[in-house]
Amino acid sequence: MLAGQAAPGAAGCRRLLAAALAAGLRRLLCSLPPCSASARRVVGQWPSPGLRVPEAAEAERLVQQLQRARPPLRRFIACPQLARTVQRCLQGGASPGPQPVLLECAPGPGVLTRTLLNAGVRVVALESNSAFLPNLQSLENSLDGQLKVIYGDFFRLDPLVTGTVKPPALSSDKLFESMGVAAVPWRADVPVKVFGILPQVRERNKLWRLLFALYECSSIYRCGRVELNIFISEKEYKVLTSKPGEAKAYQALTVLWQVGCEIQLLHKEPWSSFVTNMKSRGLAVQKTKWLPNDHLCLVRLTPHQNLFTGSLKPTNSATFIFMVKQCLAKPRSKLTDRLSSWSLDNGGKLLRELEIPQNAETRDLYPEDYRRLFEALQNSSEFAETWFNDEVMESIRNINL
Amino acid sequence: MSLLRLRAALSGPARLGGGGVPWSVLRNYSSASTKEKARRNAVCERAELLEVLKARVKQLQASSIPEVTVNKSELTLLGNDKLQDPLQEEGAPSPLEEPAAPWGRGQSLSRPSSWAEKLKKEMHVRQLKVERKLSLAASQTALEEEVKAKPKSKEKVKAKKSLKSPKAKVITAWSQAQGGSHSTCTHGKLRVTVGKEGVKAQRPPRAQKDSSHQKVLQQSIQSTLECFLFLQQPEEAERFLLSYHSSPAKRRLLSVSAYNTVMHSWARKGCLQRISRLLCMMESVGLQRSLDSYAAVLECLGRSQSSTQAVWRCLQQLKNDGFHVDDLFQKCLFEEDEKEMVLRAIRIVQPNYQLPPPPSPQTCKSSLLQDFYSKERMVSYPKLDFSVQELQECFQQQLEMELDNTVTIESVESTKPLTPQAMRARSVLSTLRSRWHGALLQALHKSKRSMAKLRNTSGYSTLYPYLCLLPDEEYVGIMMQIVNSLSPQGESLAVLARELGSKVYNRYITQRKLRSRQLEKVRAVYEGYIHLLAKDSQPEEYLPREYWEKLVAEAGFGPALNLKDCSWPYMLLMRLGMHMLELLVEALRVPRNILNPRLEPRLIPVLYHIYSFHSSWQVGLIKPHPIFSQLVSDAGETLLTFNSSAIPMLCPPVPWTSPHFGAYILSDTKLMRFVEGVVQHQQLLEQCPQVQLHPVLDALNQLGNCAWKINRPVLDIIISIFNDKGNEKLDIPPPVSEVPRPSAPPGSSSSWSKAHKQELLLYKKKAAEVHSMRMDALYKLSIANHVRDKVFWFPHNMDFRGRTYPCPPYFNHLGNDVTRAILLFAEGRPLGPKGLDWLKIHLVNLTGLKKKNSLQERLEYANEIMEEILDSADRPLTGRRWWMKTDEPWQALACCMEIAKASRSPDPAAYISHFPVHQDGSCNGLQHYAALGRDLIGAMSVNLMPCSVPQDVYSAVAQQVEEFRKKDAEQGVKIAQVLQGFVSRKVVKQTVMTVVYGVTRYGGRLQMEKRLKEIDEFPEEYLWEASHYLVKQVFNGIKEMFSATRDIQHWLTESAKLIAQSGQTVEWVTPLGLPIVQPYYRSRSTVLNCNMQHLSVKSFNSNQKPDTVKQKNAFPPNFIHSLDSTHMMLTALYCLRQGLTFVSVHDCYWTHALTVDIMNQICRQQFVALHSEKILQDLSQFMLEKYCSPGRETRAQWQKKLMEQLSNVPKTGDFNLKEVMDSTYFFS
Repeated sequence: MLAGQAAPGAAGCRRLLAAALAAGLRRLLCSLPPCSASARRVVGQWPSPGLRVPEAAEAERLVQQLQRARPPLRRFIACPQLARTVQRCLQGGASPGPQPVLLECAPGPGVLTRTLLNAGVRVVALESNSAFLPNLQSLENSLDGQLKVIYGDFFRLDPLVTGTVKPPALSSDKLFESMGVAAVPWRADVPVKVFGILPQVRERNKLWRLLFALYECSSIYRCGRVELNIFISEKEYKVLTSKPGEAKAYQALTVLWQVGCEIQLLHKEPWSSFVTNMKSRGLAVQKTKWLPNDHLCLVRLTPHQNLFTGSLKPTNSATFIFMVKQCLAKPRSKLTDRLSSWSLDNGGKLLRELEIPQNAETRDLYPEDYRRLFEALQNSSEFAETWFNDEVMESIRNINL
Repeated sequence: MSLLRLRAALSGPARLGGGGVPWSVLRNYSSASTKEKARRNAVCERAELLEVLKARVKQLQASSIPEVTVNKSELTLLGNDKLQDPLQEEGAPSPLEEPAAPWGRGQSLSRPSSWAEKLKKEMHVRQLKVERKLSLAASQTALEEEVKAKPKSKEKVKAKKSLKSPKAKVITAWSQAQGGSHSTCTHGKLRVTVGKEGVKAQRPPRAQKDSSHQKVLQQSIQSTLECFLFLQQPEEAERFLLSYHSSPAKRRLLSVSAYNTVMHSWARKGCLQRISRLLCMMESVGLQRSLDSYAAVLECLGRSQSSTQAVWRCLQQLKNDGFHVDDLFQKCLFEEDEKEMVLRAIRIVQPNYQLPPPPSPQTCKSSLLQDFYSKERMVSYPKLDFSVQELQECFQQQLEMELDNTVTIESVESTKPLTPQAMRARSVLSTLRSRWHGALLQALHKSKRSMAKLRNTSGYSTLYPYLCLLPDEEYVGIMMQIVNSLSPQGESLAVLARELGSKVYNRYITQRKLRSRQLEKVRAVYEGYIHLLAKDSQPEEYLPREYWEKLVAEAGFGPALNLKDCSWPYMLLMRLGMHMLELLVEALRVPRNILNPRLEPRLIPVLYHIYSFHSSWQVGLIKPHPIFSQLVSDAGETLLTFNSSAIPMLCPPVPWTSPHFGAYILSDTKLMRFVEGVVQHQQLLEQCPQVQLHPVLDALNQLGNCAWKINRPVLDIIISIFNDKGNEKLDIPPPVSEVPRPSAPPGSSSSWSKAHKQELLLYKKKAAEVHSMRMDALYKLSIANHVRDKVFWFPHNMDFRGRTYPCPPYFNHLGNDVTRAILLFAEGRPLGPKGLDWLKIHLVNLTGLKKKNSLQERLEYANEIMEEILDSADRPLTGRRWWMKTDEPWQALACCMEIAKASRSPDPAAYISHFPVHQDGSCNGLQHYAALGRDLIGAMSVNLMPCSVPQDVYSAVAQQVEEFRKKDAEQGVKIAQVLQGFVSRKVVKQTVMTVVYGVTRYGGRLQMEKRLKEIDEFPEEYLWEASHYLVKQVFNGIKEMFSATRDIQHWLTESAKLIAQSGQTVEWVTPLGLPIVQPYYRSRSTVLNCNMQHLSVKSFNSNQKPDTVKQKNAFPPNFIHSLDSTHMMLTALYCLRQGLTFVSVHDCYWTHALTVDIMNQICRQQFVALHSEKILQDLSQFMLEKYCSPGRETRAQWQKKLMEQLSNVPKTGDFNLKEVMDSTYFFS
């Protein structure tokens, strides 16, 4: 796991500096027609359109004014400095050559959007609040295809209810179609980058839903290994990156995300740097008992290329998820007990083969161990799949609804 | 410290007995016995002096309560110790005041132990207070008292020295030190010490009021001690008590009743020494003896035929504590022969002592029931069609059933032929079961052994005694029962644990009733009681309750019919259940190859513990292995096992005489149903004067005394359809095999497509639903079939609002159309001149066809379709099947058959009919609202006003909504246009009905959605929008039509809101005197740590905060329900006076066709009478008194607001209530 790399690389810095300089110059020179910029265009990289990035106070005012219907709670990046930091993080570590398109979820006042555009990034802005749309659309119109604005909510993609999908909910197929992104094989490069701030309400559920999509290769992951760059609360970050044996933090969510993705910490930012749409302008940070929660953490979740190389497949991954959840529902239980309760009473032999100690508690196992365990079970004829399978389906239904 | 004296009293016989001198006796230094004579002489003086002292105490009590209660015991003690010297006695009050003076000095003189030091600190503040208050009185006498006290205090020190208890040692050491250095102050200090302990004992309840955990612990201790009492293991009980007593921290959990229970178990063995030792222990922690302690002592004295002196001293002591001998017999609950033993002891001293006469029966004075209870109009109780002999046999049958605890009956599916496969599966199952039985027995033994070992080495296993209460076989039986009834979908851990725990509890209660000889007494009283009901006995002018009470009073001796409150705390029940569940999961194994012999043979567990996840929380489930489920379904076993309380009673129920006693003979039944863990109702019922409950008890008895029988022809038709694939249209659920199964694609299940999985999932869901419906129907029909040739009774109890329910859960008259159709009154009455007409009208009512027509028109319609009716009756399944198209087909069919029989009899008026005819209130909730508000328009639309045709409030609202819709549609509102032609009575009915009961927009929308979904033509994509729109319009419509109703509803809601916000629960009293409290609290969950899984258990206790939202939202509907239940009970009671058969399904009243007219009249009379009371004013007054009484010190803002709100009773309209009397369609 590569968590903890917060600072952007040196190359990123240089590029940024250039972009910032360019932006400054542009402002001085005032009006070069956008079309002339296209001449200097690198593949996948746009020249800076030299947009003015609104100041923090201005953006905050915008948020407060435009969001009439208050709840649900949303957070925005309003401070240009933070926006620059985020932009640096997003571009950091990128390989030279064509960059995939960046899907920015819920840009709101567009502070980050402009910063990104100035840095030459091709952006698709997915905004769920129609109040912010006009501003974004006029920005879109002033540019030559570097920005595309879509009405929709990233965290309500592919709703499970039957019937017509009502905006801002939308289907991922439609989204990618209008973005012009085609599906690539799983082992290919990242086709799309996503940036967003995970909504605080039901944050964990959203993480679970993303996880299910990842393991099933459905929704956004249908078109390949989509790279998520999302701000999540520090406590969830701690959960995602905790190590075996860490009390309270090491959970089923941990194991499954770590098996599925490479998790990188790009940046940590105090809650206070973000603007909320609350009337009181409070921060509305959830209290936690066990884990620290002082920051929002920008993490990059890149699906592993080799996720589906073994006997783990999108078709049987639900069983894997179910198995991990059952094991970690009671983290202090013995793994052998769990196995024998699944009518695998020569579980001892299995564990020996996997070099897992006989008295291991379920919370002691590394994520990779769980994967190996699952693969071993898949290959063994013992696995009483018939009854296990019913449970799996039931559990999926319960989580997805 | 008067305990010293009691102990002295007891020491006499102990020594006479010649056994080893118990250590407690040592405390009674020799002077005690030598001075016995002098003591007796001093009795008279002492009594007088005690009077003086008591007066003094009272005086002091006026100024400071806690201090005086502490010192009270000292007073009596001093009186005792100074017997020889009357002069000293005169000065007795003074030592009480003494501590004030010497304390300050004593403090600085010596610090013998840390304990004493701590004590001093704690006492200091208190002391200052005492000082201030008493200094005046003390100043006059203090000096001379000090001198007088000297010699006595020395004696006392000597006495204390011989004590072996560590606590006493401290006291001794301390007093010695003090005595040595400053003898004058010793005396005072010693008493302060004791006094302080008294304080300590009293403090916990105050300081830890909020600790619900403590309460649960206390309850657990009590129930454990009672287990030992039941097991007759006094040694164990004492050991358990000591384990708490010896630790100062745990000691505060012990109450007097804990000590009393242990004393009782020793008393049963006649061990006086042990009892005196316990008294001594009680004293050392400063607990006051209660009446029950004396009962235990006297029982023991009676058992061991003690000396006069001992008894005499004990009785003397009892009086000194402010009790009376008669109290023993009036307030204590005796078991077995305890009463006789106590009486024997008393008669040793007072040979002519007679039991106090039973309290004279009181009569309820409610103005609504003056006529009912008036002695002049007393009539004899209606007789059943049974002889005394027959009723006795019925009782015997019922008793045998209850003694077995469970009943195994043939299911109605048993008529199906047996396949060879089923035979095989059955034999496999039976071998498996016998193997499991053995395995479970072994596992139970093993776990008990390890617990016992644990108990010997360290600590105490809390569960051990609970696993000893019943024979091991019974525990295994209970566990096997759970396995056999487990559904293939599994069941949540918590539910199973509770079921197991409560099954054990119920059997224990049965055993206890047997042991305490309560059953014998019930049998004896019941034998007398049936004379009230039997046709061949003299008529008696009593109500069942009165007669029962009279018989109990006459019986005199024997155990009390109420058991002492011995319910187990919920946590304990769960813990026990979890333990048994763990045994089950561990012990049960099945060979893996039992269905598929090709597999290698290996034992695998039968039950699995897995987790199911619901968003953020996880629920533990126990599931049977598919192999087992498959076996069970293959075997198609036809025996069903029920708790005996699930079967209707085979004899008239035991009448309710108190909140604790009634209904079944043995099975524990609560008068008021409540959520597990909520105790407030029970407390409220106990606290209120019992006479206030009489009307409610009498009404429940009346409902329970209705005898029923089965409508056999209808039952047979239903069973035939049930066994032949069911019929969803006729509400007979088909077997699971009838659910269409999706075809399975090839390959392993993990490779199926998503759509396929989805399909399979839907199938499973549907199958599970069908299964549970099928099982429910199977239970109902099988029970009905079981009692098909019998007469049976449904004992009743009520919910917290007073709504009544039959106790047997599956089969009862509250059930659906199918169950109602197979029930008949056991008693038959001739139809009379109008009976046949009523039957016909009833039939038309059941069809739901002529709701808007007058009775006459309905009757004419019935006569028109007579041919159809007769065809339905004669050829129900082969004819034109008119009955199947009606609203309530099965009841309609039953009614057709009855009409056919009656009309073909030579004289229909003389035809004996058992058929119940129903009269329904039309939107009963709104009727009560309209009557409360005297709302003219409202009253008209719910038929409180006489009208030639029935008014239909649902149609009226539907019309109103349709008007709104039209307007919107014209203005181009899309959804209003979509809804064209869909707004109907049926769509709005449920919402209108439930609006009265506080349905919210949210709930209303869901109801609408459901209704719209039922309409096939309605476009699915508009469901949400349409239901949202409709519910809004329905609310608007109601607001337009019922203005006063909304005001009252609003007033009730607001009042409840303010009450709940002030941290109190909403309480009120129905016009019949039933106290009601809304049981909605913010629950707290406690985690129960078990091996298998941690369980989160919700706990409630009396000082929890109310749930404001629920208190507020639920008050209007609950209040209205309390009114409709009152109306029903009033009608029931007055119907009884008129000799009518009467039962109710909430607002649907049933009686014979002959008596419909009389019932209708009574029903209207009682409605008028009820609403002629100032209901809202009374409510307002009651609440003002309760929540804003002037006695309260705070005059906070909220209180003013509440007062204003409560006093501001909504204005009423000008509807003349008397009009109800002439309204035909009020109930019809």
